[in-house]
Amino acid sequence: MTLADFFQVAPVPPEQLAPSLWLIIALPLLGAFVCGVFGRMLGRANVHLVALSAVAGAFVLSVLAFWATSHTGPGSVEGSRRLLAFYRNPFGIEADFVRYALTYDYGTWFAVGDFRVNFGLAVDHLSGILLLVITGVGFLIHLYSTSYMEHDDGYWRFFAYLNLFVAAMLTLVLADNLVLLFVGWEGVGMASYLLIGFWYTDPAKAWAGRKAFVTNRIGDFAFLIGTFLLVLLVSAFTRQANTADYAHAGSSAERYVSSLQEKGPVTFKGLEKMAEALVDRGTDQVDLTTPIEAGPLAGYTFGGVMTTALLLFLLGAAGKSAQLPLYVWLPDAMAGPTPVSALIHAATMVTAGVYLFSRMSALLVLSPTAMATVAIIGALTSLLAALIAFAQDDIKKVLAYSTVSQLGIMFMGVGMGIFWAAVLHLVTHAFFKACLFLGAGSVMHGNGDETDIKKLGGLRHEMKWTWGTFLVATLAITGIVPLSGFFSKDAIFHGVHHNHLHGLEWTSSLVYYLGLLIAACTAFYMTRLYLLTFEGPRSKEARVEHAHESAWQMTLPLVVLAVLSVVAAVYAFPLMRSAADGRPQPIFENFLSPVFGAMNRITEGAKTVELDHSVPSFVDYLKAWLVALTGGVSAAFLYLRFFPARVGQPAPAFARAARRAAQNKFYVDELYELIVIRPVKFMSFILFRVVDALLIDTVAVRGTAWVTARVGSALRYVQSGDAQAYAAVMALALLGGVAYALIQVLQ
Amino acid sequence: MSFFDNHLLNLVVFLPLLFAALVLVLPASEAGQIRTVTLIGMLVDAVFGVWAYMRYVPGGPEFQLEYRVPWFEMFGTSYHIGVDGLAVSLLLLTVFLGPLVVMASTTYISHRIKEFHLALLVLQTTMLGALVSLDVLLFYIFFEAMLIPMYLMVGVWGAEDRQMAAVKFFLYTLAGSLLMLVAIIAVYFISAPAGSRSFDYAAIYNGLLDANRQLSACAAGPEGACDSLTGLARTLYTWGPWLFGAFALAFAIKVPMWPVHTWLPDAHVQAPVAGSMILAGVMLKMGTFGFWRFAIPFFPVATQGARPFLAVLSVIGIVYGALMCLAQRDIKKLIAYSSVSHLGYCMLGILAVTAEGATGSAYQMLNHGVSTGALFLLFGFLYERRHTRLMADFGGIAKVMPMFTTAFLIITFSSVAVPGTNGFIGEFLVLLGTFKSDLGAAAGNVHLTAVFGAFATLGVILGAAYMLWMVQKVFFGGLTHRENQHLPDLSLREGVTVLPFLILVLVMGLMPQPFLDRINPSTERFLARARVGTPGATVDPSQVRVEVMSLPSKQTAAAPSAPVPLAAVPSTRQ
Repeated sequence: MTLADFFQVAPVPPEQLAPSLWLIIALPLLGAFVCGVFGRMLGRANVHLVALSAVAGAFVLSVLAFWATSHTGPGSVEGSRRLLAFYRNPFGIEADFVRYALTYDYGTWFAVGDFRVNFGLAVDHLSGILLLVITGVGFLIHLYSTSYMEHDDGYWRFFAYLNLFVAAMLTLVLADNLVLLFVGWEGVGMASYLLIGFWYTDPAKAWAGRKAFVTNRIGDFAFLIGTFLLVLLVSAFTRQANTADYAHAGSSAERYVSSLQEKGPVTFKGLEKMAEALVDRGTDQVDLTTPIEAGPLAGYTFGGVMTTALLLFLLGAAGKSAQLPLYVWLPDAMAGPTPVSALIHAATMVTAGVYLFSRMSALLVLSPTAMATVAIIGALTSLLAALIAFAQDDIKKVLAYSTVSQLGIMFMGVGMGIFWAAVLHLVTHAFFKACLFLGAGSVMHGNGDETDIKKLGGLRHEMKWTWGTFLVATLAITGIVPLSGFFSKDAIFHGVHHNHLHGLEWTSSLVYYLGLLIAACTAFYMTRLYLLTFEGPRSKEARVEHAHESAWQMTLPLVVLAVLSVVAAVYAFPLMRSAADGRPQPIFENFLSPVFGAMNRITEGAKTVELDHSVPSFVDYLKAWLVALTGGVSAAFLYLRFFPARVGQPAPAFARAARRAAQNKFYVDELYELIVIRPVKFMSFILFRVVDALLIDTVAVRGTAWVTARVGSALRYVQSGDAQAYAAVMALALLGGVAYALIQVLQ
Repeated sequence: MSFFDNHLLNLVVFLPLLFAALVLVLPASEAGQIRTVTLIGMLVDAVFGVWAYMRYVPGGPEFQLEYRVPWFEMFGTSYHIGVDGLAVSLLLLTVFLGPLVVMASTTYISHRIKEFHLALLVLQTTMLGALVSLDVLLFYIFFEAMLIPMYLMVGVWGAEDRQMAAVKFFLYTLAGSLLMLVAIIAVYFISAPAGSRSFDYAAIYNGLLDANRQLSACAAGPEGACDSLTGLARTLYTWGPWLFGAFALAFAIKVPMWPVHTWLPDAHVQAPVAGSMILAGVMLKMGTFGFWRFAIPFFPVATQGARPFLAVLSVIGIVYGALMCLAQRDIKKLIAYSSVSHLGYCMLGILAVTAEGATGSAYQMLNHGVSTGALFLLFGFLYERRHTRLMADFGGIAKVMPMFTTAFLIITFSSVAVPGTNGFIGEFLVLLGTFKSDLGAAAGNVHLTAVFGAFATLGVILGAAYMLWMVQKVFFGGLTHRENQHLPDLSLREGVTVLPFLILVLVMGLMPQPFLDRINPSTERFLARARVGTPGATVDPSQVRVEVMSLPSKQTAAAPSAPVPLAAVPSTRQ
């Protein structure tokens, strides 16, 4: 058997593996249960064993699943091979196959009326690669944690939460519909809440957890409404679409409607088909400009509702992926243990927004407005975070802002339609940022939990492994040539530059030049971070005399991640040929092309986005490299030559003001406090005191009682028990009656 | 036909009363024995309740496990019980809470133990009775009888201000339900001509149905279409809104909807742990159940007119209740206001008149019983240890009570509707149902639907904000008070009491379909009946009419020459 054969034949064929996909989620969930419930009884070593083997098992299964998505068998012609990993698209016509994917539907989760959600799991190349990242990087971080948390009594809780997180994240990427995705989406939020506030005895840390959860909830609020709009849109679509619409999308009314009944309206495959049908091809009934006829959305156009829904999803993604205006929780989330920051707040959870938009790429490309907003939000967030990172002195805070900034770059890519590059950057970023965070953790571990980079320095000679891996990861994120970060970031910038949104062509250049600026900034602050931590003399304020290198459980993951951040560059090399026109194509683009097939068909038909498939030229690479180098070199100059030479001289006033503003994160938190949090608190207080306590309870309720009591006591005087008074009243009444009768008679 | 075919519901309803008689003969000094007997009674009742739940066939006739015998025939009433999907679900919730409430009170109640357990058992019977009654007068009797044991529970075993809270609770709810009694009697008189009048649910509903159809047609028809109404339709045209108002007020107070909710925080704060659990768990649902079973089906046309108004109140309730929580210092009051917010979802789901909304609402009723019941239970444990309700008196107790904290957190996640817990299914369905509904059209502009939905969805954010704020204040941070340093963690009994709630939170979150399957047929009928009032809606006539068993022929005790029973027209099915 040749090597090619070995890789093309999965150990477990897709049809056998698909029914067991649930195990990928169940294993970490079981680990969480065992560690959480029996953890204290089991003891430290057993908890480590359970937690690690749960994730390792999930990793092995993920590898098998990933492998199975490319499973082939011998073809009809000698030597040729035939793909065996495919399934029939339930929403398409008979011959509509989803290739390079496996799926399994475990039946109804809940069904009411014509709404239904199934436990449907699917693995294709997009979710497959993410499975590998989550379980692979997740395993390394679990391993790292065994040493990092060795002095903590809450180890069992920690590993239970960590396993729970992995399970939720796997649910997020495996889900084949929006609602099940939302389970993972909120599940990771919950796990993140628990882990940020892991050291709950410190109120600041517990508050940080709550801030993260509530901020995420603002995003989830938008996510939910977006989902509801899509449900309404699907029902409007099935009501109004004609045969031609379905035919354009490669489906038929019967198949589509019956699949809706079986699978529910929010499956990604169904939404994809609807998106394809909404493309204007002349003969159809519905397209983006068609007004909806009935229902709560009557009068709006399909395109308008789609844009609204996508913008709501953008707000949802902004919550999870820490973008404007909801990024404020992520820097505070650094209160959690460092492995948590590496896993959740760098490698996996925060990339959920990028994953969501890649998963729904077919919908996104229908709306240039939404795409431009995504890209611009990404660019602005990225720039803002990079500027804040300039002035932070906490090693984890710098990395946190750098994460926000890198996520912004991914959003730029997603917004400009260069999905594969955004996903590639997601993957490479997971490697090098996890490496950076774990390196930071190692630095803290060896320096008595010191996080201020001004009080570190000179670690190069004391922590060799940490230094080496940190340097590699820094070079990778900075974008120095042979490392993965350079290629993935450059692929995004190249795509951003050459893709054009219909009607909003100016966004390309805007976002591109902002991107170059961001790249220079990234290089600057990362170089600064590296230099202050590892180079120069050891700070006099250091907590411990000599830092100690960490144990192998911590250095091994660092080395693996550093190696990965180098070799992942291969994915961006144009070694493959495009299936359509035979042009050279980056491996990763080729690899993800089955996932983005519907998206490509829509862009060709709808002309909302003009996608460019060219490969960056040598000049492009040189430009990007020079930009990164400029940032790095200027930081090196400033921190190695300029500032050391000026010690003791006061900085000019404007420099101090700018630094203070950046250090205080441009006062965004204070602004939110002023315009959102305080008004809500104040309003609730006023409502409670004035409306609830005073108006309703005192005036209305007690008032009724009071009036009743007053009337009663007033009437009491009538019941005096005085027979003469009663007789007088009787006589008077009788007299009145008689008088009245007389008048009546006389008239 | 075995004994259980006929009498299963009777058993479920009256077993607690039977055990109450048993408790009555026990000496008051035998506290342990009284508790044990009560617990056994509740457990046996739970077994029969679960059996009834299992025996309910989702695809079968509307009312199942029916039982009907003549009872005060001169009024046209009969002893008629039976369950539909919603009632049997709430019945399950009630019998589920029963034994747990007894266990929760084991150490909480230390004086007048015998009377307390008598009250508990009687309360159980009245609540179950109200759920299964198919005779409106019978329902009313149980509905009112519920107040007495609850009044005693708050007034005798409550906290420092118990008298005020008990009286407030009693008068508040009584004021509403007396108006409802007037309306019930009025409906009794108008729904049928003299001689065939009946308090039976089916008789009244079917009697009003035709008139409601006419009214609906006239509301949808051209100008002046309502001038030709005659008889009952004419009466309903004039008085329907008032009658609906009387029903709606009684149930709205019970729910409670904004702005008639202020009895709830006081009653909850003062009530003992058992009182709070039952109040939140079951009694509030009598309000939503009443809307679902009586107010809306009887007066679909008036409902249609009042829907936007009531929906606005519900949305205000959701947001306002959540905002109130943010202003509280008292933990029990916070949980009470969160009930206002959650019940707002239940009401909104019902008023949406969509399958998702109504089913979600029914599911949310169960969820709220489980999660808020558990919150009160857990807080009761804490109160027993510290005898304070203020958040400021706690802080950092996660350190000393880890198991308690874990349980509280899981319930908190259920309360804020994290997916995977029961709360999510209900809230998601209610919100989806609201977005799909025609509330906007009923309010005059179709696009208002999204506004209703968006404001209701705000509760998702605020819910997380206040619950986690409270958790933070109570459990996290440093141990600020010396008194808290030696708080014992959950005891075995307390753990056993909480465990069923935790299990149910996950089971109902991950496998909701068995529960939903029982609710769905009721939803469809409810929708059809509510849509009678929607102009232009197509209504499946087979879903609308209420079919129940007829009154069995006279027993031997009755004289052969007696006139034909008033309630039952002699046919097998009405």
